[in-house]
Amino acid sequence: MKKAAFGLYIVLTIALMIWGFYMAIYGAPLDAAQGEIFRIIFYHVPSFAAAFTFFSVSFLGSIAFLSFRRSHPDWAQRADAWALAGAEVGVVFCTVGLTTGPIWGRRAWGIWWTWDARLTTTLVLWLIYVSYLLLRRFAAGPQMQTLAAVLGIFGALDVPIVYMANRWWRTQHPAPVFGGAEGSGMDPSMLPAFFWNMGAWFAWGILILALRYIVERKQQRIDAAEAQDALNATN
Amino acid sequence: MDEKAILDHQFVVAAYTVTWVIQLGYLAWLAFKARAQKRASHNQQNPK
Repeated sequence: MKKAAFGLYIVLTIALMIWGFYMAIYGAPLDAAQGEIFRIIFYHVPSFAAAFTFFSVSFLGSIAFLSFRRSHPDWAQRADAWALAGAEVGVVFCTVGLTTGPIWGRRAWGIWWTWDARLTTTLVLWLIYVSYLLLRRFAAGPQMQTLAAVLGIFGALDVPIVYMANRWWRTQHPAPVFGGAEGSGMDPSMLPAFFWNMGAWFAWGILILALRYIVERKQQRIDAAEAQDALNATN
Repeated sequence: MDEKAILDHQFVVAAYTVTWVIQLGYLAWLAFKARAQKRASHNQQNPK
């Protein structure tokens, strides 16, 4: 039953991705100012929205790990697996945003990159979570998960700064399309393509997040069994 | 199509391609990791 539901979710996600792609390319009209290049928004914005959401998952997982590591070790291990999965999938989506952005910027602004507040804080966010993943990959010992959790919490503090950067400071990056100043927003004819792609990328993100969580939980069990074997061998 | 429209189209194709390469590349890495784990847990249960 569980397997069938998971299979159905995969099929629905693939269907949603195909439909989202169709809507982005054929469903949305050309932008009056930017022409076809504006279609990058249908991948760029959902990627960052997903990245921020999954970094928040990592943030909550890190807090839960620190809270339960002494009282409920099994809960703490689950929380740690969510923290890792959230950080890793967040980095994947953030990487997509940081590569599609300059491609769009090159055509729209004539430059690949500029050190404005929005772009710089986003790059810093990406670097923090890449360092989180490197810490988890190369550090060893019992303190590794605790250090990673602390870094995960501090890293997430950059998310609201990135989100607010083009509201607080004057940036090369455009003002917010949604929730911005008066007159901001998207033409209603483009909204279906935007929201279908938002749904599709979130469905995809949840799928790979769940897969990453399953893989990490299995890794924890393998590591625990190896540690037990080593202990048995020394006794 | 004028030159601007052709260039715009090429940049959109590039952005969409990069997105899919990153996402599917990550999925492939996950599948590779899961396969390695399967082998590791099999070896644990059946030591030589």
